[in-house]
Amino acid sequence: MSLLFYSFFGLIGLLLILFAWSVRAPNRSGLPSSQYGDADECDRRHISYLPQIRQTFADADFDFLSKNASRGVLRRVRRERRSVALAYLAALREDFQSLLRMARAIAMLSPELAAVHEFERIRLTAQFEWQYQVIRWKLLAGIAPMPQLHGLSDLVSGLSVRLEAALKELGERAAAAAELASSMNRGGLDVS
Amino acid sequence: MNEIPASVQMIWGVTAFLDGVLLVLLLYRKNYMAFPAFFVYVLFDFLQCLVLYASYRIWGFGSPVSRQLGWGTQGVVMTARAAAVAEICQRVLAKYRGVWALAKRLLILTALVVLLYSWAIARGGWQLAVLNGHRGIELAIASVIVVLVMFTRYYGIFVEPPVRVLTIGFFLYSSFFVLNDTILERWMYDYSKGWNLLGTSAFLASMLLWIWGLRERQPAKTLGQKMLPGEIYDAAAPEINDRLRALNEHLEQFWNVERKQP
Repeated sequence: MSLLFYSFFGLIGLLLILFAWSVRAPNRSGLPSSQYGDADECDRRHISYLPQIRQTFADADFDFLSKNASRGVLRRVRRERRSVALAYLAALREDFQSLLRMARAIAMLSPELAAVHEFERIRLTAQFEWQYQVIRWKLLAGIAPMPQLHGLSDLVSGLSVRLEAALKELGERAAAAAELASSMNRGGLDVS
Repeated sequence: MNEIPASVQMIWGVTAFLDGVLLVLLLYRKNYMAFPAFFVYVLFDFLQCLVLYASYRIWGFGSPVSRQLGWGTQGVVMTARAAAVAEICQRVLAKYRGVWALAKRLLILTALVVLLYSWAIARGGWQLAVLNGHRGIELAIASVIVVLVMFTRYYGIFVEPPVRVLTIGFFLYSSFFVLNDTILERWMYDYSKGWNLLGTSAFLASMLLWIWGLRERQPAKTLGQKMLPGEIYDAAAPEINDRLRALNEHLEQFWNVERKQP
């Protein structure tokens, strides 16, 4: 009985937390922004800085420094590498958020949604957020060694190119749909 | 009426007065057109106040007739409250056809699951059946409201400020009532006076919120959104999910590479 008695309190506590979290002022990602095309743009921005990021994490540079530079310089380099890793993580998240914004905008304007896709997106978002926060906090606390980006750079450039192509295609398709809708409206039809 | 503490009598009086004020406000600002189910709910609640007042004067507070009338009318008011919450959900989400179709299924499912849960764990005995039913419905209302606000948060849907205030009022009242009923179930007679006082106070707070939220006239209908052709979603949704999955895998690889470091 006691467990059941307290279960109601626990349930209401959980509902209160979820309610407060949901009604708080919307953050940037919740705004219906005009930046749905941003993913494309920021992706290209990340690509253009990739050689510099790769250079920052080059083993050869660090080996050279460890032999020739003082401890202070090494510490500074390590700190700067960490901030690059953090910035890279943030950029990755930005890409993720841009895609999410676009997905939500399309979903909101669609006459029918597939629950499978919507719940899959929620799952992917939760997974991404969890991983992102864990890596970020470990990097911030300095308990994570620096990642070797050279192995990842090929992956990210490949991914970015694919993303860019996909988003471009999506944009063209959306523009064609908008054009179709407006021409139908001009002809006195409503596509809604 | 003498069996009822003066504090409870006073707070009942204030609540009935505010009920009347809200009713007049809804009529004066013509907001009954924007929120017809909410108007019916407030009207039923006001009528319940009158019926109970008359019943307590004629048969007394503790009489079986008053008790039956109290719980009976409460059933009607609770149904009206559930309809008012459904109306809010519809007002917020119905203009997004696809989202509304998905949300509707989820909201109904949530309400059913919560009702089933409340029924399954309720204490036996017909004496408590009404109380358990009341608690189950209030818990379902609170859960539905939470699912609604989570939906609006996730899709970045704008909620008109008065509707937001109505939602907060309903949520606070329902969640408070679940706790109040749970305590009453355990300490039945010792708590009955406190239950009345606290329950009415919670309702009073919600009423003040609603009056404040509906002080201006609201449009009867919100503008609908022009929809994209369905094919856009069919093509884009799996594609975007694939991209999100790829980004996730990328992050995972980042994480694994980082873990493999000595």
